[in-house]
Amino acid sequence: MNGWILAAAVVLAAGLGATLRGVVTGPLRRRAAAQNLSTALACPALLLLAQGYARPAYVDLALVLAVLGPVGTLVFARLLADELADDPPHARTATFTAAALGAAVVVAVSVATGPGRALVKLLVIGALLVGGNLVASRALAGGMQEGRRD
Amino acid sequence: MTEAVIVVALLLVGACATAAVAVRDPVRQSLVLAVLGVVLAVLFTVLQAPDVGLSQLAVGSALTPLLLLLTVRKVRRRAQRAPDGPAGRRGREGGP
Repeated sequence: MNGWILAAAVVLAAGLGATLRGVVTGPLRRRAAAQNLSTALACPALLLLAQGYARPAYVDLALVLAVLGPVGTLVFARLLADELADDPPHARTATFTAAALGAAVVVAVSVATGPGRALVKLLVIGALLVGGNLVASRALAGGMQEGRRD
Repeated sequence: MTEAVIVVALLLVGACATAAVAVRDPVRQSLVLAVLGVVLAVLFTVLQAPDVGLSQLAVGSALTPLLLLLTVRKVRRRAQRAPDGPAGRRGREGGP
């Protein structure tokens, strides 16, 4: 019985299942917000899986996702700016829930890892995850239009 | 416990791929495809193939949606610029 893998399964089933439902149904703004949340929730799941399988190399996947997930959301925010301008997505509660979950997972895995080079890498991933998530949500909620008006 | 994660990831991939086929609008389809790329990367990780998952993440989460959205934008612009041309007529018929 591996608690880390169980936690990863719960995050995957509940979090990604909910974002999958959000991305398939509803108006365009809800779909864009759900796509942003899917990357923000998959990254903690990958961290938990790396800890559960006891393979530190798997942390690279979470690092790549923490960098590329917000990039993908920014692509949508830029190219769908006209469609999203009338009705910008505001998923503040869900965004902060995902950010808090990511921070909690990073703290838990850091405590299990102990001091060293791996800890620095985990903290970098956590900062990228939370910061990228917040920046991408802000861009979706109208940051791109403000930038274009100038 | 390891099998449970594999089952969860497989179910997610199945549901997401079905949704990607069922959604008809290309813009919304690109959003579903971005989620599908992430879910597939998780499935590859769970099946102990993180190298495949890495390349899947790089391609699926940012590159595929970018290409799709750029194509949609170019087709729409061409349809707007020449509303009487063959491209415009096709765009108006196919558009939502």
